Amino acid sequence: MTAGPAFASGATIEIEDVSKWFGQKVAVSDLSCSFGPGLTGLLGPNGAGKTTLLRMMCGLLRPSDGSVRVLGVDPRRDPSVYRRLALVPEEDAVYGILTAREYLAFAADLTGVSRQRVDEAIAQVDLAAAADRPISGYSKGMRQRAKVAAALVTRPEVLILDEPLNGTDPVQRAHLIALFRGLASEGKTVIVSSHVLSEVERMADRVLAMVDGRLAAAGDVAAIRRAMADIPYLVRVEVAEPRRIASALLAEEVVGSVRLSGAQLHVETTDLAALGEILPRLAAAAGARLSGFEPEDESLESVFRYLVRRR
Amino acid sequence: MRGFFAITRVTLRQLLGGKRLALFGVLALMPPVVMWFSSANLPENDVSDAFNEAPIAIVFLIVLPVVALVLGAGSLGDERRDGTLSFLLLRPLPRTLVAGAKLFSAWLATTGIVGTSAGLGAAVVGVRAGDWAFVGPVLLGVAVAALAYCAAFMLLGYFSARAVLIGLVYVFIWENGISAASASLANVSLWRIGVSAYVGLAPGPISDIDEILGSVAPGAGGAIAKAVVIAALVIAATGALLRRRDLT
Repeated sequence: MTAGPAFASGATIEIEDVSKWFGQKVAVSDLSCSFGPGLTGLLGPNGAGKTTLLRMMCGLLRPSDGSVRVLGVDPRRDPSVYRRLALVPEEDAVYGILTAREYLAFAADLTGVSRQRVDEAIAQVDLAAAADRPISGYSKGMRQRAKVAAALVTRPEVLILDEPLNGTDPVQRAHLIALFRGLASEGKTVIVSSHVLSEVERMADRVLAMVDGRLAAAGDVAAIRRAMADIPYLVRVEVAEPRRIASALLAEEVVGSVRLSGAQLHVETTDLAALGEILPRLAAAAGARLSGFEPEDESLESVFRYLVRRR
Repeated sequence: MRGFFAITRVTLRQLLGGKRLALFGVLALMPPVVMWFSSANLPENDVSDAFNEAPIAIVFLIVLPVVALVLGAGSLGDERRDGTLSFLLLRPLPRTLVAGAKLFSAWLATTGIVGTSAGLGAAVVGVRAGDWAFVGPVLLGVAVAALAYCAAFMLLGYFSARAVLIGLVYVFIWENGISAASASLANVSLWRIGVSAYVGLAPGPISDIDEILGSVAPGAGGAIAKAVVIAALVIAATGALLRRRDLT
């Protein structure tokens, strides 16, 4: 395997030149990376291809091109790998008719592990009080914890979690993050996907960022943060006398470009805060009323697109 | 086998939960109720003939296909619809074992419901005429036809979210219509497999049913063999599909 920030040492999962397309739509494009022990965050906006990649790692999807190996084997050819690999899917894939205890016992029976693990796994996700109630009555957060517990009951070496914090409240979130970090510190390979940077930042030591099916950035969280520090933001400004303000703005160091569109200005800047201070001053000097100042392009998706363009 | 029986337990709860069992109960009451009233004023010698007319037709042409369709299609189809199929497939189990457990569950539930219905109908013959020899054959016939039907509908349920609708068209247009009208097509009719098992074991000549069997020879052994072959082919095909197809 190639060296670099996308590749982990002591890899348990190896992704080599993997592509996946559904008809005309390319979900993952020529992606190579690896995952090893510890907690890795898979970051990207919705539709980036994270779930497709995770499902290929688990053998639920066949790569259109390239290869996936988990613990040295192709999961689609060797189901015995599922004794050591578990997935917590994003969707509500739970049996509503079962209680959490029955659900976990079912997972244990299917994997061939002792049912004695059930109580332990329930305690790990703090679900003991509701363990004998049907899952159909659970909140979204409780269902998420039940799914995590069902994965933990088999004590997997590789744990893949697709947006596991969706629907959880802050207390549950903190508990799950601590749990994932604990598993990673035991030497397990834990992969957590998310579209929320702050979430990944709290738990992952290493991050792979995806957008449009490609790897946009890889490395530790600090490196990702640094890469995002000089991203230009697009700001919409509504001001009287837009032509005069536009020429004044172009003289400012933090302003990259200005485009006039009717009564509005579209300003590209690398420093939102500085622009926020400069604009009122320029408007006051020109005697023009500033009526609007709004970042147009602040979504995580645009940040990732920027990272992809830089590569 | 621990995984097999775990899937069976949960699948039976899925299939027989909610209002389904109550609806099937009402449907299943039809044959014994019809038998009870149609044989009320008959002489003892004619009671068994009465059983071989309307009640048998209701069991094999209506109750059995409908129950097998809903349960067979639901056994895998419900898992796909609910997104729980990945929970079963991400296990160190052969895919054919998953398919086999699903078919076994649907067959067990269908045979339990329709077998009770048909058995009660045959029991009316015993009560009215003292002849209990129809109970065993009709139970076997139901079990055999249920296996063939559940297998076919499980595969259909895996492929299509509209399996019940497609299955109803199949049952009422093909099985009860086209194949019933043509003796040459009788060999590809699933309900005739069950009826041939029943006729092969039931006492006395049953002329009316013999006619509708067409080219299908009565006999339990052949019927069981046909149903087992269909089930084995479906399990192998479903196992291969579960292994090869993407689960999006």
